[in-house]
Amino acid sequence: MTGTVFDIKEFAVFDGPGIRTTVFMKGCPLRCRWCHNPEGLSPAPQLMVSTAACVHCGACSRVCRHPDKCIACGECVAACRYGYRKIAGKRWDAEELAKRLMKGREFFEDGGGVTFSGGEPLMQWPFVREVIRHMPGIHTAIETSGYAPDDVFDEMRKTVSLVMMDWKVSDPEAFRFWTGANQEPVRRHMEALCAGETPFIVRMPVIPGVNDRKEHFETLANMTAGARSLMRVELLPYQKAAGAKYAMVDMDYRPGFDESPAPRMFPEVFEERGIQVRQFR
Amino acid sequence: MTEELKTLQWNGWHHAFRRKAEESAAAAWRKPGMDDRRRTARRMSAALEAEQPVMFPGEIIAFTRTVTAMPMIFSREEWEAIRKNHYIHELGNVSNLSPDYGRVIRSGLLALRERAETLCPGQPVTEEIDAVLGLTARYAAAAREAGLTDLARVLERVPAYGAETFREALQSLRILHYALWYEGNYHNTLGRFDQYMMPWLERDLAEGRETRESAYELVKAFFLACNRDSDLYPGMQQGDNGQSLMLGGMTPDGRDGYNLLSDMCLEACGELKLIDPKINLRVNRDTPPEIFEKGTRLTRLGLGFPQYANDDIVIPALEDLGYAAEDARNYAVAACWEFIIPGRGMEIPNIGALSFAQVTDRTIRAHLAECRDMEELKAYLARAIRADVLDQMAERKNLYVIPSPFLSLFFDGCLESGRDISEGCVYNNWGFHGTGLAPAADMLAAVEKTVLSGDIPAERLIAAMDADFEGEEVLRETLRHDCPKMGNDDGAAPYAAWLLHTFAESVKDLRNERGGRVRAGTGSAMYYITHAAALGATADGREAGVPLPANYAPSLNIRLNGPLSLIRDFTVPDLKEAINGGPLTVEFSESVFSQEDAVKKVAQLVRMFIRKGGHQIQLNTVNREKLLDAQRHPENYRNLIVRVWGWSGYFTELDKCYQDHIIRRAELSV
Repeated sequence: MTGTVFDIKEFAVFDGPGIRTTVFMKGCPLRCRWCHNPEGLSPAPQLMVSTAACVHCGACSRVCRHPDKCIACGECVAACRYGYRKIAGKRWDAEELAKRLMKGREFFEDGGGVTFSGGEPLMQWPFVREVIRHMPGIHTAIETSGYAPDDVFDEMRKTVSLVMMDWKVSDPEAFRFWTGANQEPVRRHMEALCAGETPFIVRMPVIPGVNDRKEHFETLANMTAGARSLMRVELLPYQKAAGAKYAMVDMDYRPGFDESPAPRMFPEVFEERGIQVRQFR
Repeated sequence: MTEELKTLQWNGWHHAFRRKAEESAAAAWRKPGMDDRRRTARRMSAALEAEQPVMFPGEIIAFTRTVTAMPMIFSREEWEAIRKNHYIHELGNVSNLSPDYGRVIRSGLLALRERAETLCPGQPVTEEIDAVLGLTARYAAAAREAGLTDLARVLERVPAYGAETFREALQSLRILHYALWYEGNYHNTLGRFDQYMMPWLERDLAEGRETRESAYELVKAFFLACNRDSDLYPGMQQGDNGQSLMLGGMTPDGRDGYNLLSDMCLEACGELKLIDPKINLRVNRDTPPEIFEKGTRLTRLGLGFPQYANDDIVIPALEDLGYAAEDARNYAVAACWEFIIPGRGMEIPNIGALSFAQVTDRTIRAHLAECRDMEELKAYLARAIRADVLDQMAERKNLYVIPSPFLSLFFDGCLESGRDISEGCVYNNWGFHGTGLAPAADMLAAVEKTVLSGDIPAERLIAAMDADFEGEEVLRETLRHDCPKMGNDDGAAPYAAWLLHTFAESVKDLRNERGGRVRAGTGSAMYYITHAAALGATADGREAGVPLPANYAPSLNIRLNGPLSLIRDFTVPDLKEAINGGPLTVEFSESVFSQEDAVKKVAQLVRMFIRKGGHQIQLNTVNREKLLDAQRHPENYRNLIVRVWGWSGYFTELDKCYQDHIIRRAELSV
């Protein structure tokens, strides 16, 4: 079985406990307006160009055989002497990927492991499940939007060691506006996590003017208060560099909100309810 | 108190007192018939007599250098004549040693003077001792005059007499260290400070003379003093002053030496955030995670230290080379990373350097076309490495080192035997650095995959290299990104292991003219600049002009998989064979440390390198944007500290080629 991966990051310090390697699975059903990994959206391999650094020497155009529509053949990648071009998205065989990840096994022994992120890793769940099957004894974590079919989400909960799930926008209408998707399954899956046994962390991307409101924090706090398996809530403030990679995949970044103010944070909402909260910079 | 001193010192309050000695001063010692030892002593005593005591307001640990430069002991003609007949290492002075400060601080200079007089009356060293004590007496008077009674009392006792308190011991160390520079010795390291100073601290704490807090203030004052004159002691670059200090590690009798003072030193460095002393930390597979975490907190500050050394590897490797067990256990480092023995080694650990990259490139160009397989290429390469090493040894004959009677007091047996330290000591081994190991391994991996597999003719590869890959971009890309790379855990490490082993085997039977051995290493010193300049494009897809990595580190033009692959690959070679030292160097982006638990994770990573048999590791925290901005606006970044090769310095004080290299390394940061 094969899957498409757009990056493997060793020593990913923000993706769970201990020393971890994070696998970024390509493809996502959501279109969050603040997404900082645009190369993770499309499920297909695609060309990425460091347009800002490009000196326009023309070497890539000279070798290009598909000027009308890029097929990510990669010939221009070799032609660029500066290394400014690459193909995002590599097909991996599940067993091969597991082998590659298991090389770090001795580093994982002190609480670390492998994290699957994306994109939305549940979009390629059968592949992810297969990779996990080939890594017995390894602590596995998943970073998900929670947007997936119920049976996939349920199976995932029973398979991985730790779930890290986003809670993006509380209001269903607003959720659809900012992410392009239906919130219903996401809410259902959050409730399932709260009621279940699998350790989980909720991550809140906090976007200025979008969801930096106290009611939003309170909605999540009320949902999760008393959840036995909840380890903590993590607050991820919006980074202004989020738009940096859009030009590289030939997309426009149109966030639709004012990026400049620092998002407001309400960690006390969780603290008051005895929920551990961690704020990222 | 130290805070005010730090501000004054940082602003160069004492620079107003600085002046240069006249060249004519040399008339006092450049006399026909005056031998080199006497000249050294006369020069040192003249310099110390010319010194004016400088008393900082609220001074705690005194002694400030004001005479910035002194003419050397020989005239130019005399020196040229000596050079004609001798091999001269670097500037010609004794350098890069680890003196046994403890013995001199304990006995005091007067007792040593008496012993010298008994053994051989009128030795040059007595002149030097008298000059040191003369200046100390003037400092004591100045302290009294300034109303610094405690300081005056200390200066009236040390270094004339054996120190009795921690403060006296620190002041004595300061004066002795200061005097060593004045004798002309350079890269005067500080050795196992926490070991030789601990007895005084322990006694003061037990007898209530100091509290932990008051003793900590003294440590800070001493560290501060190490930064006072260090801008006058540059090596290759500003900051390359050799003031390394070793903490922790096994004691000569086999105990764990990490103590309260080790802890205080780590804490003091973190608080002062200055480039000196440069902290090294000895660890082993059983060192508790907390100690790695303390070290990592310094790394997070961007100080470029501590540098860790692994007792599990270094001690047995030194024993294998013939060091006695108690000496091997007592190792410290030279200015950068070379393992040396305090008070017993007159070693020259940087006398030569093998450029793995050059010798591999040369062999590929000359012989690849005729090789049917890797074994044949390796055979040529092994011969080339051996020949390179022999050539360097042949040039290093009839060594002359400027004598150092005062420094000799700090070394075992010198006073008794009358042999100056410049002529040798218990250990007289030499060391060869090994630069560009990773690029060399990458070259071998690349030719194996492309040429020896039959895919590409050797002639085509060589022609592409000669053309700097002009018109062969696809080949270059294949070489650079589709072939195994040392550090990516994809098959290049065995080549590095073979290269290092071959280097170690090539020096194994060599003996220098002092009977010492030759040690192979993985360090680069400044050679990563010069060795790279001598190379054209190479078979690993590296274009001409791309620098070589510093020390034991991956090539600079590759995409790295990450620190796990890096550590796995760099612990494949048998590093006991590379015991001249040279650290794995890893760059971390500042952002890695934005969460508190990152300290624990980075510490785990270091610990894993140690547990997997790494010999030495050094981590940097960098911010590429900040470095670029510092190049544009140096005035805003006066205190930006970076690790250069084996030492930390201020970024804005470096030559541009070293700045650029650091920026390039930052691009590979985790």
